[in-house]
Amino acid sequence: MKLFFILFITLTFLVQIGITFSQVSDSAETSQFTIISGKVTGEKNEVLSGANLVIEGTIDGATSDEKGLYEFETEKTGQANLIVTSLDYATKNIPIDILPGQKMVLNVKLTKTEIKTDEILVTASSFTSGNNNAVTLTPLEIVRIPGADADLYRAITTFPGSNQVNEGSRITVRGGNPNEVLTIVDMASLYNPFIFDETFNTSSYSTINPWGLKGINFTSGGFSAKYGNVLSAVLDLKSYDMPQGSGMFAWLGLANASLSGVYLSDNRKIGATFTAGKLFLEPFFAINGKHSEYSPIPQSNQLGGTLSFTLGKTGNLKMYGNYSDDKVGIKNAGPTYDGFFEGSSKNYFSNIKLTTAPSVSTLLSVGGSFSLNENNSKYGVLNTTEKNIYSKGRAEYTLQLNNKTDINTGLEYEYNEYDITGTVPLFSYNLALNAPSLTLDTNSNSGRLGAYLEAQIRLTDDLFVIPGVRTDYHSLSSKASFDPRISFGYLIKQNHTVRGAFGLYHQYPSLLDYSRSRENELKPESALHYILGYEFNNDNKIIFRVEGYYKDYSDLVLFNRANFFYGSEGDGNVKGVDVFFKTKISNKFTGWISYAYSDSKRRQFDAQILAPSNYDITNNMSIVGSYNLSDKIVLGLSYKLSTGKPYTPVSGSTFDSTMNVYVPIYSEINSGRFPTYDRLDMNAQYIFSLFGKFAVGVLAVNNIFNKDNLYDYTYNSDYSTQLPIYTNNKRTLYVGLGLQL
Amino acid sequence: MKLKTISAILLMFALLTGFNSVKADSDFDKAILKGKKTLKEGMDKSDEVILKKARGQFERILQLKQQPWLVNYYIALADYGLATTGMVKEDKETIKKYTESGINVINKSIDENPEFCDSYVLLESLNFNRWQYEQEKMQEIIAATQSADAQAKKLDAENPRYVLVTGISQFYTPEAFGGGIKMAIPTLEKSSELFKTRKEKSELYPDWGYDMALGYLALSLLKRNDDGDLSKAEVLIVEALKINPDSGFISGYVQKEYKTASAESK
Repeated sequence: MKLFFILFITLTFLVQIGITFSQVSDSAETSQFTIISGKVTGEKNEVLSGANLVIEGTIDGATSDEKGLYEFETEKTGQANLIVTSLDYATKNIPIDILPGQKMVLNVKLTKTEIKTDEILVTASSFTSGNNNAVTLTPLEIVRIPGADADLYRAITTFPGSNQVNEGSRITVRGGNPNEVLTIVDMASLYNPFIFDETFNTSSYSTINPWGLKGINFTSGGFSAKYGNVLSAVLDLKSYDMPQGSGMFAWLGLANASLSGVYLSDNRKIGATFTAGKLFLEPFFAINGKHSEYSPIPQSNQLGGTLSFTLGKTGNLKMYGNYSDDKVGIKNAGPTYDGFFEGSSKNYFSNIKLTTAPSVSTLLSVGGSFSLNENNSKYGVLNTTEKNIYSKGRAEYTLQLNNKTDINTGLEYEYNEYDITGTVPLFSYNLALNAPSLTLDTNSNSGRLGAYLEAQIRLTDDLFVIPGVRTDYHSLSSKASFDPRISFGYLIKQNHTVRGAFGLYHQYPSLLDYSRSRENELKPESALHYILGYEFNNDNKIIFRVEGYYKDYSDLVLFNRANFFYGSEGDGNVKGVDVFFKTKISNKFTGWISYAYSDSKRRQFDAQILAPSNYDITNNMSIVGSYNLSDKIVLGLSYKLSTGKPYTPVSGSTFDSTMNVYVPIYSEINSGRFPTYDRLDMNAQYIFSLFGKFAVGVLAVNNIFNKDNLYDYTYNSDYSTQLPIYTNNKRTLYVGLGLQL
Repeated sequence: MKLKTISAILLMFALLTGFNSVKADSDFDKAILKGKKTLKEGMDKSDEVILKKARGQFERILQLKQQPWLVNYYIALADYGLATTGMVKEDKETIKKYTESGINVINKSIDENPEFCDSYVLLESLNFNRWQYEQEKMQEIIAATQSADAQAKKLDAENPRYVLVTGISQFYTPEAFGGGIKMAIPTLEKSSELFKTRKEKSELYPDWGYDMALGYLALSLLKRNDDGDLSKAEVLIVEALKINPDSGFISGYVQKEYKTASAESK
């Protein structure tokens, strides 16, 4: 690619040259003219060169020079409007009274257009990509992170504070549960952008294409009031409103193939994108071997796309649709059943969004989305089909009050329906085919109405504050929540920023939890976030961050042993420190080191005393490096080391003669820990030309040292022997080829 | 009488309106030509201050509300020149600032007049600048440049500036990636030939590129260095300087390359 840069450096350095013009003589001016002169500066009195000044309706004006000075003559007299413009600064209109033959001196001060209270700049705990100065993650890096398999979520777990669930794409943040992380795409909530999400010992993958994203903002706490019904973290993704051209990209790998394309109409008013992909693991297993017995082997299909229309001068209508399915059967030998776990799922997601700017200082977005996730699980007596439906309508409005304050407000209504049918074991420890079971056929639904109001205020040049409030009302429980939140960013001096956030966050329990409560009386789970951090960012050449946090949970769902219902008596807390260091050395090397310390304890679900939460990973470190060996070859290495996650050991058993099975006796909840997790991955990318088109070849080796990392423990039939179940992510080789068509 | 009066008023109104519009056109033409002159000077000298001045002149011309698409074309071209000064200084912020501004402005111009081939040529070139500061958007940049290229080709495949940009792209692209001087030479020759007979529809329209085509052809020949290439290059340089004696590219770069090649061949 470098060649292209050099190319266009010169190309430009020359396009110049070309213009052959006719000679035009400047007309002499007369003494009747008024001379207007002055100086143009910015807010801090810095000189602004290249600012343009013009008297409205004429071409009388000037451009400020290197010292910010300007001077021009005009024959216009009387009342007039002087328009002053400069790139990156707000246009200024100055009414003036021009007296003929006079000399007028007019100094002009301009202010920056873009309000600096960018969420990215201010929000604590954020890792971002997009057009801002605090970018910490780019789509290219996502694709190049070894072991991340070009998966956005896996890439995010190389940053501090988040962890993979079973080496898959589901993530947990700061010790929270996976369902406490919300993904937003173009304002729509995306609850299940995964395949193999609920499958035994099969890592999940996300269905989001990182190349289609214009902006990525992942925040692991202290987020804005516009995000509702989420306790731990938000991944806010923005896709392109309109493709910027037309083209296609094909991918063929050892385990998958895909075809994607973008289209932009000649008049550039209509755009479309599509992606179709298929997973086929036969060649992959032939090379790498199988570490489990499968029937069927994992398979998946995906089809998605967008359709965009430009409406008027500022409007954009975008429709998004995605479908995916997966299927797998995997052998598991449990204490009461030895057979295949069979799982399959189907996901539909669609979204429509209309954005328009009613005026130069306002932006309005409205939209609606629908998603359906159907999940089938079968193992022994367990045989269920679950359906989760979400539909959401929302509107957001932004008003730029002045160059120091933006106001954001929004309203949303979300409908959720949950169905479960089939049979579940009456006793969780007995999964035998003839075990006592319950037949389920239940349906529940609820609505949630949410609203927020938020201001982004630049109090001084260096201090930005975002206060906000939101409220939500849940129809099933008839409970409302009210969340005040505030975050700030303070630029101590150039490159040095302090950020902090404090706020209240609520999330309503799942409909399944409500079904186990008495008269749907569960309160929304609540967390108070306290975050304070420091960042050094030297134009993204060096980024260093350290951030401390504390979260105080209350009203967590807790099993009440007295009445056997779920209640809201749970509580907990998490405290920790995240450290992040990233460096970029010329265009050759990019790398980062993340370290997170976390201590997360909860009384939640079956944990009657404060115990480590399910994803309490005390120490977690990631090291990622990418080196451009040449213009064509990039090498990457990634290493992850973390404390094993907690689990609840079985300490003994009793024999149940009626069912003819042993009943496990459990130790204290989460009193055991898996062994330390570690894994080293590498990859190499080779960029070359194939049939005169750009092509990229990828070679990846995951888990180079073939470490046996633990997925779970199982037991023999009387629970006297604990047996490890290792993950299927042993050392694997993957090759793939992408071609720009 | 009444009809006569009305006719007279209408005639006078028509004349006045006509006169005004002629005057306005004249002001507009003069202003555009003056802006082009400043822009050429800024680009010849790769001078940031002069380029900003040119940009300002075109911005002010927008006040006349005539052919805004053409005025915006020149503003975007000035932005392109300003981005180039950032490349010389290796200042990515400047490259990004003016490239993004240029893309916004040229897109506005295309919205106002989607049939002007040169706008797509400029859009393609501006998009190439993005390699400098957002390489991670490789697929998007390729799609954007290919799309602009296809549109320019569709509108006027014989536009010498379109052919020139293609030739320059081939000049810098390695053979392995579908470029190289073997491809660039015939393309640049074609561009030069097209320039010879090219007559723009209006003197207000862009007319840059002839000297560049010759300059790049000379550079390609110097690079190939077959028998007679050196003397052919010399002829091309002389011809290019006749067309644009102020060209910093020819006098400051191509001539220097020629002298180096000449010295090496002795």
